[in-house]
Amino acid sequence: MGPCPHGAQRSPVIDPALLRRYDAPVPRYTSYPTARHFQNAVTESVFRASIASSNEDLIPSDLSLYVHLPFCRRPCFYCGCTRIVTRDASRASRYLEQLHQEIALQGAEIDRDRVVRQLHLGGGTPTYFTDAELASLMDAIRKAFTLDEGVDREFGIEVDPRTLDTARLHHLLSLGFNRVSFGIQDLDFKVQQAINRVQDPRYTLTLVEQAQGLGFASVNVDLLYGLPGQSPECFMATVEAILGIRPGRIALYGYAHLPQQFRYQRQIPASSLPDAEARIRLFLGAYERFMAAGYHPIGLDHFAREGDRLLDALQDGSLQRNFQGYSTHAGLDSLAVGISAISRIGTLYAQNTKDEEDYLTSLRAGHLPIRVGYHLNPDDVIRADVIERIMCHEELDGNAVEKRHRICFPEYFASSLERLEELERDELVERSGNRVVLRPLGKILRRIVAARFDAYLQPENPDGHYSRMI
Amino acid sequence: MFHAGTDFHREIRQKCSQCSLQELCLPRGLHASDLEQLDTVVSCEGPHHEGDFLLRAGDPFRSLYAVRSGSYKSYTIDQDGREQIWGFHLPGEIMGLDAIHPERHICNVVALDTATACNLPFDQLSAIASRLPGLRSGLFKILSKNLAQQTLRSRDETAEERLAAFLVDLSSRLRERGFSERDLHLSMPRRDIASYLHLTAETISRSLARFQSEGLISVDHREIRLLDLARLTKRARSETLAGATP
Repeated sequence: MGPCPHGAQRSPVIDPALLRRYDAPVPRYTSYPTARHFQNAVTESVFRASIASSNEDLIPSDLSLYVHLPFCRRPCFYCGCTRIVTRDASRASRYLEQLHQEIALQGAEIDRDRVVRQLHLGGGTPTYFTDAELASLMDAIRKAFTLDEGVDREFGIEVDPRTLDTARLHHLLSLGFNRVSFGIQDLDFKVQQAINRVQDPRYTLTLVEQAQGLGFASVNVDLLYGLPGQSPECFMATVEAILGIRPGRIALYGYAHLPQQFRYQRQIPASSLPDAEARIRLFLGAYERFMAAGYHPIGLDHFAREGDRLLDALQDGSLQRNFQGYSTHAGLDSLAVGISAISRIGTLYAQNTKDEEDYLTSLRAGHLPIRVGYHLNPDDVIRADVIERIMCHEELDGNAVEKRHRICFPEYFASSLERLEELERDELVERSGNRVVLRPLGKILRRIVAARFDAYLQPENPDGHYSRMI
Repeated sequence: MFHAGTDFHREIRQKCSQCSLQELCLPRGLHASDLEQLDTVVSCEGPHHEGDFLLRAGDPFRSLYAVRSGSYKSYTIDQDGREQIWGFHLPGEIMGLDAIHPERHICNVVALDTATACNLPFDQLSAIASRLPGLRSGLFKILSKNLAQQTLRSRDETAEERLAAFLVDLSSRLRERGFSERDLHLSMPRRDIASYLHLTAETISRSLARFQSEGLISVDHREIRLLDLARLTKRARSETLAGATP
């Protein structure tokens, strides 16, 4: 291993007792306000008008496009995504047919000089579909939109190693994908059994290595801690195995057990889950190991090594938070297709129906299936900006906020800053003038810092709908 | 179109003699006693909201109009049904001049935002002008300036020169009106600017992006800040009508 560029061989001084104290449900801020505040006043016509108006900006924003492919052959028990578990290929192809229609309808609204810089296929399991189906999906996208074909594009797809082989990786490259994200979660057989996702560790690791060798610009692996039967020891074995092949990015998510909300999670007995104490050990163990191996923590839950664009984006300030996590292109309008998908055009969020039948019927009738959304007010715009900075970067520069929004930072955020004092005492943040700098603990608990700027979150009224911090 | 200044929506009296725009508008340079003659014939139209018509092409010519507040655009429709923009009109500017000869309005005039206009009945205006040489020469100057503007606009220039000239011209018109000459808040769609300058919308955006990368301007949605007016003016190359008296 080369010298660590960030001086992180020593584990950061993180006090587990403090982590425990702040281990409360907080939004993940993939949007602000969060999707819970969406209202049904946002309809298809509101959405179309918003696109039309964005086309008339002096320099219309380029685009990010998210495609939701919700199908899975079998249910991973931990999953909280909107998905459809079926082996009925005709059901999936009915969906695909209307997805093509939705792509065409959205594309027709967008001026052709607006370039799709970022494309993400997520699920469900995008690789549920055959090579031919994915190729025709990409054709439909290319027909409807102007795609960036240059090296700066960020075209990614989530892959399930159980639906993948070398030939398929080649095919994905030929379709224009230059990023691939592997769902791994945990390589331990017992844990895999408990979450109903058994995949051969050796095969999985070989595929990740192949992907890196084939020329994908970025290879990501997703890991999950807090899974049933997961012990710190066995999870560290997974961490070591992953570090052995050094992917460009690692995403380390905490499993959120919300069985009332997600049916399949009822298959996971609460008694099999690591307790709060063990979750902290799982998280800190992996965190410190990644740091020691030269990975740099990015935002809430990502780690990137030297050479990955995500680290460049952190350093040049273009890192951005969106519904898919973190990305490297700031300032894009995001379009999204598929059930439950959320678009953002300027100050408007618009979300599709989550219901498969509703989705199909609506599109067959030629309508975009927008059902809810939210129009940001001027205060939301300012807070969304502040919260995104906190979720992405290592400091919040109040002077820059003042310039961007023409406000007086200490006055505008007087009550937020007051609520920050506790976090200052506990060494999550450090304030000097209008700067709020995240300290190592604050970087891990950045959701807590962000929440202090959330006008919708009353501190005396903690909210059970969000996942726990750690 | 322009929400640039602080007191943009200040109340403007219906009477020319009390109007804060009189030094920019038709009565420029008239004596107080002469202004009262104008007061007797001027009436108010509007308020119009974005997209409302003040005039439609083909309307019989009876009056000239002066913008009192807000802004308007004038346009014709070509054979393919596309809008051809002829002008964007700011407070104190006169509209409907093209109708004097054909005695019919050639252009549609539509509000770009919440806007009001003064109706100046042409017969009565002519009658007063025949008694007031100051008003008469004012009218001639406005007609001449309008002609010169269309001539300049039709010259052979590169897209960037044309666009730079457009921005410099807007900036100076805003300065005359007491607004910031550096912060332009445009609410007309980019396709209108494109149509006005005989360019494509794509070219407008590409050129603005180039100006931005050169540090001449910064663009945010529909706001432009002119960072280097001197270099932008040089970029416009050709003479603009900036500062010319009507």
